[in-house]
Amino acid sequence: MDRTYAAPADIDARRSRAFTAGAVGLVACAIGFATDRDHFFRAWLIAYLLFLGIALGSMALVMIQHLSGGAWGVFRRIFEASSRTLPLMAVLFLPVLLGMGTLYSWTHADHVQADEVLRHKATYLNLGFFLARTFVYFAGWILIAWTLTRWSRRQDEGDASVNRKLQYLSGGGIVFYAFSATFAAIDWIMSINPHWFSTLFGFIFIGGQGISALAFTIVVSASLARRAPMDTLLKPSHFHDLGKLSLAFVMLWAYFNFSQYMLVYAANLVEEIPYFVARTSHGWQYIALFLVIFQFAVPFLLLLSRDLKRTPHRLVVVALWLLVVRFIDLFMLVAPEFQSTGANLHLLDGEAEGGVYVHWLDLAAPLAIGGLWLWMFFTQLAQRPLLAFADPYLRDALESTGGH
Amino acid sequence: MADSMEDHLPGSSVPARVMPEVIAPGHTFQSVTDKISGIVLTKRTPIGWVLGFAVAFVFLMLMNATIGYLLVTGIGIFGNNVPVGWAFPIINFVWWIGIGHAGTLISAILLLFRQPWRTSINRFAEAMTLFAVACAAMFPLLHTGRPWLAAYWLFPYPNSMGLWPQFRSPLIWDVFAVSTYFTVSLLFWDTGLVPDLATLRDRAQSRFAKVTYGVLSLGWRGSARHWQRYETAYLLLAGISTPLVLSVHSIVSFDFAVSVIPGWHSTIFPPYFVAGAIYSGFAMVMTLAIPLRKFYGLEDFVTMRHIHNMTKIMLVTGMIVAYGYANEAFFAWYSGNPYEGYMMYNRMTGPYAVYYWSLISINAVMIQLFWFRRVRDNIALLFVLSLLVNVGMWLERFIIIITSLSRDFLPSSWDMFHPTSWDFALFAGTIGLFLSLFFLFVRLLPAIAMFEMRTIVPEAKLQAEHH
Repeated sequence: MDRTYAAPADIDARRSRAFTAGAVGLVACAIGFATDRDHFFRAWLIAYLLFLGIALGSMALVMIQHLSGGAWGVFRRIFEASSRTLPLMAVLFLPVLLGMGTLYSWTHADHVQADEVLRHKATYLNLGFFLARTFVYFAGWILIAWTLTRWSRRQDEGDASVNRKLQYLSGGGIVFYAFSATFAAIDWIMSINPHWFSTLFGFIFIGGQGISALAFTIVVSASLARRAPMDTLLKPSHFHDLGKLSLAFVMLWAYFNFSQYMLVYAANLVEEIPYFVARTSHGWQYIALFLVIFQFAVPFLLLLSRDLKRTPHRLVVVALWLLVVRFIDLFMLVAPEFQSTGANLHLLDGEAEGGVYVHWLDLAAPLAIGGLWLWMFFTQLAQRPLLAFADPYLRDALESTGGH
Repeated sequence: MADSMEDHLPGSSVPARVMPEVIAPGHTFQSVTDKISGIVLTKRTPIGWVLGFAVAFVFLMLMNATIGYLLVTGIGIFGNNVPVGWAFPIINFVWWIGIGHAGTLISAILLLFRQPWRTSINRFAEAMTLFAVACAAMFPLLHTGRPWLAAYWLFPYPNSMGLWPQFRSPLIWDVFAVSTYFTVSLLFWDTGLVPDLATLRDRAQSRFAKVTYGVLSLGWRGSARHWQRYETAYLLLAGISTPLVLSVHSIVSFDFAVSVIPGWHSTIFPPYFVAGAIYSGFAMVMTLAIPLRKFYGLEDFVTMRHIHNMTKIMLVTGMIVAYGYANEAFFAWYSGNPYEGYMMYNRMTGPYAVYYWSLISINAVMIQLFWFRRVRDNIALLFVLSLLVNVGMWLERFIIIITSLSRDFLPSSWDMFHPTSWDFALFAGTIGLFLSLFFLFVRLLPAIAMFEMRTIVPEAKLQAEHH
């Protein structure tokens, strides 16, 4: 038996397919950038947030795994490979910076001057501080992901001294992640409508990243489980664990969103309610209902089934679906703040005047970012053994039979 | 590197992680049952128990006296007044309800997550839940001053006056949330007790004890069919309890968050309250477990592993609470709403600032000590810290309720809240009720689940391998 746990040989073919898809998407985006710049920025931000969510959520799950243990540690290399795409994500953030004038109305000094609330917020919402924060987020995330995976490699080489250090870094790293992801959510999404705020928004963003990371890992693992070396290692109980975690995050997503919606709806305050007025009128209400049913009710009911969670080829269908609805959910977070057409995309006061509008760039941007991201992911995955075989929790993980 | 990998069959030569055991070595089925049932079935009541119970009982009597005076006089005996219409009663209600949450988390969620360390602490944590909910439930009734009228204020029964409760108010949701919580917790606890009650029935010496435990054990004979039904029922109850861990305190948080009052209307309240509840609940479990294991010599069963794990859960939930404080402070400013901004400024610098900074020092600063293994190993220190967490979480509710009500939108209606000695008497009295019930529980029922402990002794593993 091969004990290097090398990735299957066809991973190179996947890498190049992903790269081709990314290149095609990029060309399309370049055309979009030249012809319809405003829509390009909106579409790019939405697609960007989906793949950033997989990468960051995976990094957070690696840290939780180091701290808590558990049989799902057999998937650690997949989470690690996802987290090692973060440098690419930093590069792919550049178009968002280019588009700040379109995306964020608070970048326009005249607009800020005319608005008392924005003048108040200018201490936080200003270009220099925004860039500095963005730099700190990426520097921190990349440093954490790189250090964790570097120590993980030293663990493979037999250096048991890193085990304790991995736990220490994970403890501090998870705290940094919680705060940085919250502020990134405020900066990149919430400040699109600079008047609106919700204290729960950070948790909603983080919970969504959990769903994305778990769903993506299920998809990759189900495919790896069909061939050597993972075919003999991954058991139904391991998929059962990922399925249960996905169920928990789907429930959390619903819990957070219900709490936010109910409290804002019940209070009906002028500074809060426009967010939901925009999302429950002009056609957006159908997408809202669609998300309630298809990001919560249906996956929830399906994931309750023990058999489904233990059958990779069925679980993978739910996971792929979750990735699709995550994208729609992010579209719902970002897009209703903009008018559907025209050069000035802004709805500065949160009033919804446009209807639901899906642009061709909304499909080209995920192709571009997704293709490049997957290329980076497969590149990283191929560089390491697929099993973190020196993990101190691994014996338990491989013996796990699962329950309930 | 290739060589070293050849040596590493997955999980074979890599040592498994060394952790303190969930039960000390050397125990058998016999020794576990003897030890735990011995505490209950002994004829000699320890003098320490008598003294402890006596103190608790004095406070219980204080509660009864306060309630008597309250019912005769009215709620004017409390410090609540315009504008602070909600004060100690709701602070204490939220505090007690929160404490209950650790019991439910341990019994339900840790069971579903297959965490074997829950076994020796679940029974008394569940008892703690019931007693805490009982203490909590008294406050909404008593703070009305006329609890005999509460039936139609709280429960939607068709009455001749045509009065219905306000269904759109979270206070009514609370009635259903808390009564559901109490019912399910009681069923869960009682179901778990049945096999142990049968053990006590079989071992009891006196006729009275035999009959009493016999009736309570519902004819349990320990047949395979009994066990199979039992396992199914227990798992179902765990499933039903799990959402209650989130729902009860979320609805308690709605009591505040639905109101449009600065400092209360915040969308993060539901998860932040739930985390705070679990945090304070684990602090209370520690506060009870540390003296209990010492006094009855239960260190073999409630091991350092339990203490470590509970401290870690307190660290995680405490950090979520600390995140909540940071989040509230940031958004009070970011919102641009002058009332929200002033609310936070008033908390930090106003007349109640000393309580605000005390709670921050405990719940955001002090808990950082739990990161250190040396702290987690120090039982005496942990006992003190867990008491402080109880104080910190009480202060948190004090700050949320009192600062927001005492200074809201109209400066002309601002006023300070001054608690009366009756406020303190009722609060101390419920602590007396809680401790009295807990002392009786420890004396009359097995505080640790004997049959579950028997599944984690080494003998059980051997048997399982032979079968």
